Amino acid sequence: MATAQTLLEEKTEPAGLGMRALICIQDVLVEYGQPGKPSKRILNGLSLDIRAGEFISIVGQTGCGKSTLLRLVLAEEMPTRGQVLVEGSPRQQPDRRCGYVPQKYSLFPDRTVLENITFGLEVTEIGILGGFSPARRVRRKEFQSEAIGYLHRMGLRESDASKYPHQLSGGMQQRVAIAQALIMRPKILLMDEAFSALDPGTRAGMQRLIKDLWRETGTTVLFVTHNPREAVILATRVIALGRTGADEDGANIVLDLSVPDTGDELAIAALVQRVERTTFPGGAESDEQTGAPEV
Amino acid sequence: MSVLQIHAHPTRTTVWILSWFLFVTGVISYFWVSRERHRDNPDDRVMPTLRQMSQAFVDATLKPAEDDEAAANASQQSLATRVRNSMLWKDTAATGRRFLISMALLFPAVLLGLHMGMFPHVGAFFLRFVLFFDKIVALSLLPILFIAFGIDELAKVMLIVVGVAPTIILDAFNLTRSVPKEQIVKGFTLGAGDFSITYRIVLKQIWPRVLNSIRLNLKSVMLFLFAGEMIASTDGLAYRIALLRRHMGMDTIIPYVLWVALLLFLVDFGMRTLNRKLHPWFQEA
Ligand SMILES: Nc1ncnc2c1ncn2[C@@H]1O[C@H](COP(=O)(O)OP(=O)(O)OP(=O)(O)O)[C@@H](O)[C@H]1O
Ligand SMILES: [Mg+2]
Repeated sequence: MATAQTLLEEKTEPAGLGMRALICIQDVLVEYGQPGKPSKRILNGLSLDIRAGEFISIVGQTGCGKSTLLRLVLAEEMPTRGQVLVEGSPRQQPDRRCGYVPQKYSLFPDRTVLENITFGLEVTEIGILGGFSPARRVRRKEFQSEAIGYLHRMGLRESDASKYPHQLSGGMQQRVAIAQALIMRPKILLMDEAFSALDPGTRAGMQRLIKDLWRETGTTVLFVTHNPREAVILATRVIALGRTGADEDGANIVLDLSVPDTGDELAIAALVQRVERTTFPGGAESDEQTGAPEV
Repeated sequence: MSVLQIHAHPTRTTVWILSWFLFVTGVISYFWVSRERHRDNPDDRVMPTLRQMSQAFVDATLKPAEDDEAAANASQQSLATRVRNSMLWKDTAATGRRFLISMALLFPAVLLGLHMGMFPHVGAFFLRFVLFFDKIVALSLLPILFIAFGIDELAKVMLIVVGVAPTIILDAFNLTRSVPKEQIVKGFTLGAGDFSITYRIVLKQIWPRVLNSIRLNLKSVMLFLFAGEMIASTDGLAYRIALLRRHMGMDTIIPYVLWVALLLFLVDFGMRTLNRKLHPWFQEA
């Protein structure tokens, strides 16, 4: 049986569609309406192509629609107009191609760490009633040792495996949530402010971890954050959302920035400043700055 | 030191004394008043003495029910057989059976609420109807139920179901809806289908809360059960209490009331303990 390490090293296949992007967001418009009230426009004609293997950070002021954009990619939500294609086809509901690490409620509270990580494998291979046959039990053992491999990779101890999520710290919970998503080897990993509840030290560690994992797996990552610095140091490309016109017009992409893979602190600082200025034009403070991970 | 202080720190002994005070005074004053009344009138039936009550309770547990054939050779039987033939045992068994049947019938209610919460079409189909049903005063349906189902077991069980099921359905529905959306999306992204998500994520998560909600509704279950038994029944604890009222049998009624309270307490305690043991991850609010 392959170890977790080698599995992590298996690169996700490139889209295989020639120049076609892995994710195609085409002119989407999102409006929330209640009957009897004028509908509220959130995203207005946003278009974005994402190639396989990119690490995209999405920044923007609170309420500008970052989470909405992720929900569109997940296919948890359908746009009012326009469409979102993953590997060239539209979808009706979220599926295995996207792994998802939300900010809150990222783990199943009723399962232990190990059960949380193996859940995806079990649910796809073992039916509700098929859990008791001997062959399944062997399979389950395999899942568990694979999960233990991920646990180690995430820097967690084996003694944590039998703990319940409420017994873990926030950082540990997010590590488990990432392992839970990655064990399914998703083509796309979506993270919605996954680190924003963590203290700066833990956060820097998690940034390092996610960047390493991205390098190892080649998964496409969409990473929503409030923090311009975090956005720049992690990503290969930063997308800033913002409103250009009046408030009711909704948001669109105000900045699409490629980030060179450089260790040059000055260049990074310049990029951070640029993102900051576009995202928070009022000169508002961005949230806490964290140390650069040693990437 | 003031008693009415938010930041008061009563000692363990104080807490113990305070919490038992009303029990002790209640019992003492009862027996004191009872003794006074018996001094005035030795045939008083309203407030039986401790001896009368224990005698009546022993009779209820050890003597066969009055309409029993086996009454003649009662004294030769073993203790266990005597208890099994006794009035109290038969009444408890009859009430317990109805109680268990009603509880079993509440589980489909949980599943209905779950599906209403998960699947919008099912929700649209049932929600308005259940909300309406919930507003019907179940006891007002009693005559209708007796006419429709006759005065046998079915009517009594239906009374409980009609009275409690809407609450359980709506509770399960609301609990289902309160599961964070993230969990469901997460399920889909991990490759689970609609039914896997419904049963393996959502039902499993709300289960301890559902058990809690059933536990909190035990009193309504008993209320409807007793109403049914008092009005139309030939056995059961409430039937016995209603029957004894006709001959002012307070010496049996009071132990019966306490017995019912004890049983309900034990069921409640058992369910709570079970819930904690089965769901170590569950933190009660
Ligand atoms: N279901 C909904 N109904 C109505 N309005 C909604 C709904 N979901 C989101 N919105 C609105 O859409 C806007 C964008 O929400 P979204 O959650 O995408 O913002 P965000 O950029 O993720 O913000 P934050 O940084 O605070 O998480 C918000 O103004 C919000 O009020
Ligand atoms: Mg958000």
